[in-house]
Amino acid sequence: MQFTDVTGLAGCAIAIVALAAKVPGVSRLSRTRRRGLLAAVFFAALLPVGALPLAGYVRGATGDLSIASLLLLGMGLLRALHGVPMPPDRNKLLSLIVLVAIAFYPWALGWSNFDPYRLGYGSYWLLAGLLGIALLSYWQELPTVALAIGLAVLAWSTGWYESANLWDYLLDPLVSIYAAMVLATQGIRRLRRG
Amino acid sequence: MKRHAPLLLLLLAFGAGFYHAAQRPPAAAFRASPTPEANHQPPILRSRFASSRLHTQAHAASLVELQDGRIRAFWFSGSREGAPDVEIRSSVFDPAQGSWSAEQKVVNRERTQHALQRYVAKLGNPVAGRAADGSLWLYYVTVSLGGWAGSSITAMRSTDEGDTWSDPRRMITSPFLNLSTLVRNAPFQYADGTLGFPVYHEFISKFGELLRLDSGGAIVDKQRLTPGGRGALQPVLLVQGGNEARVLMRYSGTPPYRAVTITTEDAGRHWSAPAKSALPNPDSALSAIVLPDGRMLAALNDIEQGRDALSLMVSADGGRTWRKVYQLEDQRGQPRDEAGYVEHVAGLLAGPVEGAVPAAERQEYLDSVKSQACTPQGCRYEFSYPFLLQARSGDIHLVYTWNRAFIKHVQFTPEWLRRQTERAR
Repeated sequence: MQFTDVTGLAGCAIAIVALAAKVPGVSRLSRTRRRGLLAAVFFAALLPVGALPLAGYVRGATGDLSIASLLLLGMGLLRALHGVPMPPDRNKLLSLIVLVAIAFYPWALGWSNFDPYRLGYGSYWLLAGLLGIALLSYWQELPTVALAIGLAVLAWSTGWYESANLWDYLLDPLVSIYAAMVLATQGIRRLRRG
Repeated sequence: MKRHAPLLLLLLAFGAGFYHAAQRPPAAAFRASPTPEANHQPPILRSRFASSRLHTQAHAASLVELQDGRIRAFWFSGSREGAPDVEIRSSVFDPAQGSWSAEQKVVNRERTQHALQRYVAKLGNPVAGRAADGSLWLYYVTVSLGGWAGSSITAMRSTDEGDTWSDPRRMITSPFLNLSTLVRNAPFQYADGTLGFPVYHEFISKFGELLRLDSGGAIVDKQRLTPGGRGALQPVLLVQGGNEARVLMRYSGTPPYRAVTITTEDAGRHWSAPAKSALPNPDSALSAIVLPDGRMLAALNDIEQGRDALSLMVSADGGRTWRKVYQLEDQRGQPRDEAGYVEHVAGLLAGPVEGAVPAAERQEYLDSVKSQACTPQGCRYEFSYPFLLQARSGDIHLVYTWNRAFIKHVQFTPEWLRRQTERAR
């Protein structure tokens, strides 16, 4: 097993833990029991069931989760386990993910001859653009956005996952769908309230 | 200082990012294939089967020349295309003996899944390439979810000419769950030793792509060859010079059914707009090579429907016009009911495939073909997925799927091709 298998499987195991935390009844457990249960789920997700661990089956379908996914899953788990509130700029991060996904995926999947995914193999323009957004976020006091971008760039440059493409560290389709659903739900609630 | 720690961390991350980006190799010219030795062999064409496993489906063969001049073939084989029991198999052709070795399993789904640490449902097209350091790489298609549009590429490396292989590794080539990058045709080398690999995408829309791999097999660039929605896939890249190349692609769009072509004159920095070539294409794979004199040789189903005819065609003007020089297979109009088909295929097995099917085994071979090609609705003739290679000896080797049951090998000398080309004029 290679280092990138460990990081990839661990990411999927974290997603399984985050899903387990949402199971009805888990939130009613005492904090200690909840922590014990979710730690057990994490390790169980990495134990082989037949040919592969459960995280391996998830990884077959989802691939490795982006740093944005891990960050949001981490925030959710911190709230579930330690009662840490969501950071105030979480919605800004979700909005940025949705905007980038809308601009990115149609072109990356063949809309035209321009392929933005190519920029992820080390384009200085993409890096410079991300640096600009990260610095702007930092000065606008949006630390979660700056953190998501900074960690993604660091993970890419250190070969955290199998992918050599920066986009795979920045976002993935699942976090894009999740962000769109959260924002849509919030929007509908706001409309209902009038 | 503490207040500025996040900013310093951000700058550190981007410092690492820019340093990493600076390691990417600069653009490079194409490296032409090595010129084969002078071949003074008489005009000879021989054919035989490269695969020997019975009662299984065999498909999508490719070739690579070994250091000692032998030819190694890879294909996938199993109870049916897409079945979990499909394996990548290989056999070696010894030109001195004129025979293929017994076929062997290279890798199966279980080994792939275990090494990749992720679920794998099925295996598909295998293609081998030689890296600048002399090692062989085998790339093959794997699918975790859905059909072939859900494919990803898996790679293995061999330093002993394919006798043993490293653990499979996943190549990440697509941002959408790594879905839909497939291989079919051979990689080529750039002048700086990096490897160019024509691949294609099928999810939502079909288009050709070109990967560039460093000596360790890592992807350093990916380029789109055609926009989506044009039905162009399975690119074969023909290097004509340091900066010039033509790409031919299978076409799955609307009539007229012609292979799609693009060209470059600056080593792939820019490509022409996709256009339909003069080559007929019934949405089937084609193969082509550049001969030492600059002519191009293609093997393809040169029809607009079906895969029951296969031809060799030559272009003397860089791929603009093509002339058929030999009809390898043509079973158009032959019986498709089971009784008529069996009788006809029995004749084929007894005839042109010299020495490959001894009379004692012919019935087994026939049963194998019948099991793969016949359904209650009728039987089909299929001669598809050709793959061409010119060896250093000058001999040209072609493998293709023969009625889904076997991989057929055709070997011919440059003199044979010259005479066929003369005849076709």
